[in-house]
Amino acid sequence: MKTSEKLTILADAAKYDASCSSSGSSRSNTAGGIGSAAMSGICHSWSADGRCISLLKILLSNDCIFDCAYCLSRRSNTLPRATFTAEEVADLTINFYLRNYIEGLFLSSAVYGSPDRTMADMVDVCRLLRKKHRFNGYIHLKVIPGSSPELVRQAGFLADRLSVNIELPSEQSLKMLAPQKTKRTIMVPMQQIGEEYSGFQRDRMKSRNVPCFCPAGQSTQMIVGASAESDLQILTLTENLYTRMQLKRVYYSAYMAVNTSPNLPALTSGPPLVREHRLYQADWLLRFYRFQAHEILSAAHPFLDDRLDPKVAWALRNFDLFPIDINRASYEELLRVPGIGVTSARRIIATRRLCAIREEDLKKIGLVVKRARHFITIGGKYLGDHTMSHQQLVGAMRSAEKPGSIKLLRETRQLRLF
Amino acid sequence: MTSSIYLHDGSFEGMLSAVAFAVKSGGSVHGIYDEKSYSVQLFDMVVTVPTDSLQAEKLFSYLKNLGEYAVQFTINGFLGEERAVGFHLYQMVQLCLRHGARALELYRDDSIRYLSQLSRRVNGEAHRLSGLIRFRELKEDIYYAPFESDCNVIGYLARHFSCRMGSRQWILHDVGRNISLHWDGSKVQSIEVDSAFTTYVLENGEVPDTHLGNTERYYQQLWQSFHATIANPDRENRKLQRQLMPKRYWRYLVEMRGN
Repeated sequence: MKTSEKLTILADAAKYDASCSSSGSSRSNTAGGIGSAAMSGICHSWSADGRCISLLKILLSNDCIFDCAYCLSRRSNTLPRATFTAEEVADLTINFYLRNYIEGLFLSSAVYGSPDRTMADMVDVCRLLRKKHRFNGYIHLKVIPGSSPELVRQAGFLADRLSVNIELPSEQSLKMLAPQKTKRTIMVPMQQIGEEYSGFQRDRMKSRNVPCFCPAGQSTQMIVGASAESDLQILTLTENLYTRMQLKRVYYSAYMAVNTSPNLPALTSGPPLVREHRLYQADWLLRFYRFQAHEILSAAHPFLDDRLDPKVAWALRNFDLFPIDINRASYEELLRVPGIGVTSARRIIATRRLCAIREEDLKKIGLVVKRARHFITIGGKYLGDHTMSHQQLVGAMRSAEKPGSIKLLRETRQLRLF
Repeated sequence: MTSSIYLHDGSFEGMLSAVAFAVKSGGSVHGIYDEKSYSVQLFDMVVTVPTDSLQAEKLFSYLKNLGEYAVQFTINGFLGEERAVGFHLYQMVQLCLRHGARALELYRDDSIRYLSQLSRRVNGEAHRLSGLIRFRELKEDIYYAPFESDCNVIGYLARHFSCRMGSRQWILHDVGRNISLHWDGSKVQSIEVDSAFTTYVLENGEVPDTHLGNTERYYQQLWQSFHATIANPDRENRKLQRQLMPKRYWRYLVEMRGN
């Protein structure tokens, strides 16, 4: 089979992986080598679905021995199968990289032979790139569940980022939809990566000759909407992954119906894009806004509101904490005001060192005044409308949502009508 | 006292000299412009400031002492090629003389905000183009990338690619400004690109076939098919794609050809 045909088959099968970031690693070029990695990551193109392309995202093979219900490449589907050789992948990566099409390689694979055999082949591709071609660009390697600790360790020394897909948010769903994968085979490598990552990072503080172990950390991905878990379960799991396993990112992937199965949503159902969007917003609250999962959702309200930003929803539920004064509030308090983000909170603090903030400065500093005004006072003056009832306030906040959120909501509504 | 307009020769040093001169004059300042972008208006008090390397150097070292923001605002202000930037730099220096480096974060001030936004725009475009540049392998084993940009970011790009491409030779060509830089494996140098070649590139967004290396078309096709395949049809969102990758950059993008 020609390389071009393989590329089409194996890129097509890789498109369900949400991650494409190339950030978190700063690697410089070596003598006689090519490539470097930028801390910020670099997007190289955007595909027709609006997602960024920064890595050559492909599977090594789609010839799978597993039979996961949600997956297009599962064993029981009839479709063209292909497997790259290590040289083919290296040649594509180097030549795309030299033309600045990509920032590096994102290699995943279906499981063929055994998890260890697949993983060993993937590690070989990385070794070929790093040692023979002296490639110093970014490599994101997917870790196959159930592969041996030694292979995971080798992978960590070659790749910038490792990820083990958690696939589904609970053990029951995993049993039902991905019978060959178990919580253990997923969590064991994840834990190993987390421990080695922190261990090597600690040692590097003492000596810079200590090798890097997956310098950009690890990430994971879970499918949303294929099984019955609540947002609360998903978010609590996410929080645990961040705090206990030192994950850098958790990706959510709205379930796209590709197979029929009695345990899955119907083929005609569209991907739950709004839910995915709200989960990402909540994820941001965990990572950058110092929120905890139990503040965002509770057993009484286990799902995120479709029509409200989770931060706004939190602020409306805890309206007794507001309004706060812009000139007195701490950084943490400012971060919790809807319409104030990390940048504008920092700017407020910086400006306040020099002079008090006036009402007319708010917009200049970069606050979204139409959202923030209901929650702040300035010099004792409340900027919202005192006469508004709670109901009216909720309505006002819904219409003050970001244009992107409103558009997404409208489009999925329309879809549901047909 | 009437306020004056100061003109400089359009170079970085010239701009700094004019700002330094305006600050020293102590009078009120109406504007600081590149003399090429200025046409005399009635009642304007115009002073043409000769470029003075010493003054420019002095001002720049003062800005360096203020910290990274001041340096970025100045350099990126210059590269942003906006007409009004001189006046805002003058205002920035005045503020810093009064309040010290803290003034650089005074976002309620119009000039600081202007410079910070301009600086972000320049950095943003340099970052964006470091991804959107597309090299073509030419016959002579040189990688050549044509591009057009709003701000003058070729210097930033050259720095980025010189750390990245190792011993491989490349040429970056800002087709709009007709500036090109060549990396020979150890240093960056300014070179001239043949004018007929430039015209062809400008018109077609691609290098003439006769110049392309043997495998160039092959990898371009592979990239095009990868780009088309990796999109998820269930999630198609062309508007978002255009938002993140504006059409003005499409001309030299291999994957967007024919779109």
